[in-house]
Amino acid sequence: MRPVKEAALLLAIAFTCSVAAFFVHPKAPSFRASGLDRDLSAILALPEVFWVDARSDDDYEKAHFEGAILLNEDRWEELIVGFLDAWSPDATTVIYCSSAACPRSHEVAARLKSELEIENVLVLEGGWEALVEAGLVEEADE
Amino acid sequence: MSYLGRGAEILVGLAFAWAGVVKLMDPSAFLAAILTYEVFGHAFAVVASLLVPYLEVCVGAGLVFGTLKQGSRLIAIALLIAFVVLLVQAAIRGLDADCGCFGGSEMASESGYAWPIARDVLMLAGLAIGIVVERVSRDKSVR
Repeated sequence: MRPVKEAALLLAIAFTCSVAAFFVHPKAPSFRASGLDRDLSAILALPEVFWVDARSDDDYEKAHFEGAILLNEDRWEELIVGFLDAWSPDATTVIYCSSAACPRSHEVAARLKSELEIENVLVLEGGWEALVEAGLVEEADE
Repeated sequence: MSYLGRGAEILVGLAFAWAGVVKLMDPSAFLAAILTYEVFGHAFAVVASLLVPYLEVCVGAGLVFGTLKQGSRLIAIALLIAFVVLLVQAAIRGLDADCGCFGGSEMASESGYAWPIARDVLMLAGLAIGIVVERVSRDKSVR
């Protein structure tokens, strides 16, 4: 039992330090991913949406949300041309990637904001998984 | 013989402490690295980005100075197994994950997964040597 008790003590020390760091560390992360995340119901309530698929080329080829344009960091320079051709400034640009744990949609959103100065950008909370769960798309066969 | 075990543990402890110190200087960068594994949700990743660096420092100090050594070994082994599982799943899924192991950006597309996995396995071996040598020394002294 001694190793477990000692491990519990170490965990308690580390936990206390990490809680303190959360409040005082200048580079402490926030529990809110960004101000960009919106759930599916909020996105569907928008009057006009321009969908962007930030997953890999393979995933996009297998299946994607109807009307979504592929834009990922792997082939940014090539894909941005197609994005700009199709993009509508009146619509809200909504980006999704594979799941809630996928960071790609935030990376694409950050680049659209910083490089193209597109302000009306949101990220779909839950990504592709949220679209599948809602029955708006079908899970692609492997 | 006992020097070998103690030396191995001190080396593993120093590696843990170094990895922890580097990460706790910039938890946001570590959070970004965790998210590239595409396993954890944002909230869990935030907790891990704050907790793991301090845990590594505590474990490192425990192994180097020999205080709370058994608990330090237990957590070190659990962390190393978790790191290996994360790296292997990222390699199998073909993700370009950022190791995040010793701070900085160490993308798999640049460094691959083999070295980070081998490094963790070596550290597990170091801990195993420490445990085995200690057991053998204790058994001898009992006789």
